[in-house]
Amino acid sequence: MSGTLLAEVLTGGVRGGTSILFAALGETICERAGVVNLGTEGNMLMGAMTGYAVASITGNTWVGVAAGAAAGGALALLHAYFVLNRRTNQLATGLVLLFLALGVTSLFGVAYVKADIDAFQPVAVPGLSSLPFLGEIFFEQTVLTYLAYALVPALWWLLFRSRWGVVLRAAGERSEVLATYGYRVKPVQYLAVVAGGCLGGLGGAQLSTAYTNAWFENMTQGRGFIAVAVVIFAGRHPIKVAGGSLLFGAALALAPALQARGYSVNQFALDAVPYLLTIVVLVLLGKRESAQPPEGLQKVFEGSAVT
Amino acid sequence: MTTLLDPDAVEATAPAAPAPDGATAASPPPTAAPSPWSARLVGLGRTAAALGGALVVFAVFMKAKGADPVAAYREMLSSVTSWKQVGEILIRGTPIILAALAVSVPARAGLINVGGEGQLVIGGVAAAGVALGLGDTASPVLVTVLMILAAALAGAAWSALAAVLRVYVDINESVTTLLMNYLAVDLMLYLIYDAWKDRNGSGQPATPALPVADRLPLVGQSRIHAGIVIALVLAVLVYVLFKKTSFGFRLAVVGGNPEAAHRAGLRVGLLLIGAMALGGALAGIGGYAQLAGTEFKLRPGFLVGYGYVGFLASWLARHKPLGVVGAALLLSAVVIGGDSLQLESNLPAASVNVLMGLLLLAVFGFSTKRKAVAA
Repeated sequence: MSGTLLAEVLTGGVRGGTSILFAALGETICERAGVVNLGTEGNMLMGAMTGYAVASITGNTWVGVAAGAAAGGALALLHAYFVLNRRTNQLATGLVLLFLALGVTSLFGVAYVKADIDAFQPVAVPGLSSLPFLGEIFFEQTVLTYLAYALVPALWWLLFRSRWGVVLRAAGERSEVLATYGYRVKPVQYLAVVAGGCLGGLGGAQLSTAYTNAWFENMTQGRGFIAVAVVIFAGRHPIKVAGGSLLFGAALALAPALQARGYSVNQFALDAVPYLLTIVVLVLLGKRESAQPPEGLQKVFEGSAVT
Repeated sequence: MTTLLDPDAVEATAPAAPAPDGATAASPPPTAAPSPWSARLVGLGRTAAALGGALVVFAVFMKAKGADPVAAYREMLSSVTSWKQVGEILIRGTPIILAALAVSVPARAGLINVGGEGQLVIGGVAAAGVALGLGDTASPVLVTVLMILAAALAGAAWSALAAVLRVYVDINESVTTLLMNYLAVDLMLYLIYDAWKDRNGSGQPATPALPVADRLPLVGQSRIHAGIVIALVLAVLVYVLFKKTSFGFRLAVVGGNPEAAHRAGLRVGLLLIGAMALGGALAGIGGYAQLAGTEFKLRPGFLVGYGYVGFLASWLARHKPLGVVGAALLLSAVVIGGDSLQLESNLPAASVNVLMGLLLLAVFGFSTKRKAVAA
């Protein structure tokens, strides 16, 4: 893992950006179906805690990751119910669910703060890992990161090349058209929100079982919010979402890398970089045509906040 | 005053949103006339049942963690029902009320301000900065006035930035205000650990303590400080603003239907920025009150979580300023009751977030009868 600062930051960026990538891909599905889930942060927390706890109990980290994904999906199911059935405000409901997740994970997670797990270790991909520069950055990662790589084109294909994707996007853009063709809109949206939640949970589980290798209260530190922001400025396009997630992973990796080298840059200034960067990128890219939300979402973003 | 807020106009932008001016909570289509008492009673019954449901679900959670829910609720209740604790509720409730009003004012115009947390912190930072900068070169009255002004301006500027980005670059304010919370806390931590660190202090990272003369006066012999008076006065002013002023009316028009407001000749962008800035100013004053009333210095953890509780309080009261005061004090009591969970039932302090989340979900989803979605 020696090498230049750039390589180190980028490697750390891929490792730390994987959780954001999972969550952002999930939120992409969700938003394409016309639902915003600010509770993505909560989905990640649920996934991080459940993934870690189950990995510690069963001794099998894969079972933990699956449980983490399920926990994220369960919280998202609540979001879907309240937003789609009870017609509550999407943005506020997401935040309330984040609160719920903060509480639930600290309530049930406290027993696992000092637990041990068999954490994921980096696995070099034969051949690819010996590529100059890129090999070290992209192909000496954990299996979960490789899974995230695979999800990016898979989701692109699903959204833009499959019948399923047409139905999903129609639910977000023109739900009345979908209804005219005899589809039921709500089940499609439920599926999208829950699938998004599962990916958020998976992202959280990656964070606790393959990145920090620990669980502590509120460990996601706004990564879920950054994921939502990434989805917005990446125009809800999986491949751009991947780029954005890695960029923020790199921003998060900057502080530890500089500190390890003894640079006396202020820690708090460095901590602020990812959030500041998110806002700056949103400003620079926010107004592009491609970033415009699906019709169904515009109502959420521009509609009255008052319930 | 609801001519522009007819059901059709509101429905056009947000199918599920009842009138901002909300004559009743029980029926989504807004009407100018208040609903009959029987309907109100049904609405109250519904809310009570929903809140009761939330308490039952939380009891199940506590049981699952091996705590005795009945004993825990009894502890929570008794921990907030002594006179001393009533004072505590008011003290902790002060920044929560102001953070909640910071949500209510922008919400009136249809904006979602999730940045109360950062706006409180930035207000505290600005107030502390004024006190540190002036030292004893100015009279305490002048210092106090300048601290309040600086806190309000800092909160306003911090929040207005998000509204400016919303108006001119079309970035949703709920995302930016959220991200800016992290920036505000990072800025404060930098000041605490570095630029404003108390070099003669006990070694704990904190800014130097506020001189006694610059602190808020206490009410009688208690620990309660004048901040609660400031908060209550501001809540009444926000109420008057909403009900009696043309600015308040314009905000409601923009919140009801921005398109209609624009066509009616209102300067929608400026109103949105104004509403957000006003909200931020209120939260900034909350930061000042916390600094000058109970903390006296910035330290890590200063006001952590208060902004989010305020956000929930505003939504709990459907952004009505006087109701917001009640909701904020109620949640303040819940937070304090949450401390007893930690002490008596051995549950982590953050588990009170579960209860708050459940209460909010109950009120959001079940306190009003929602019409089936029109196709």
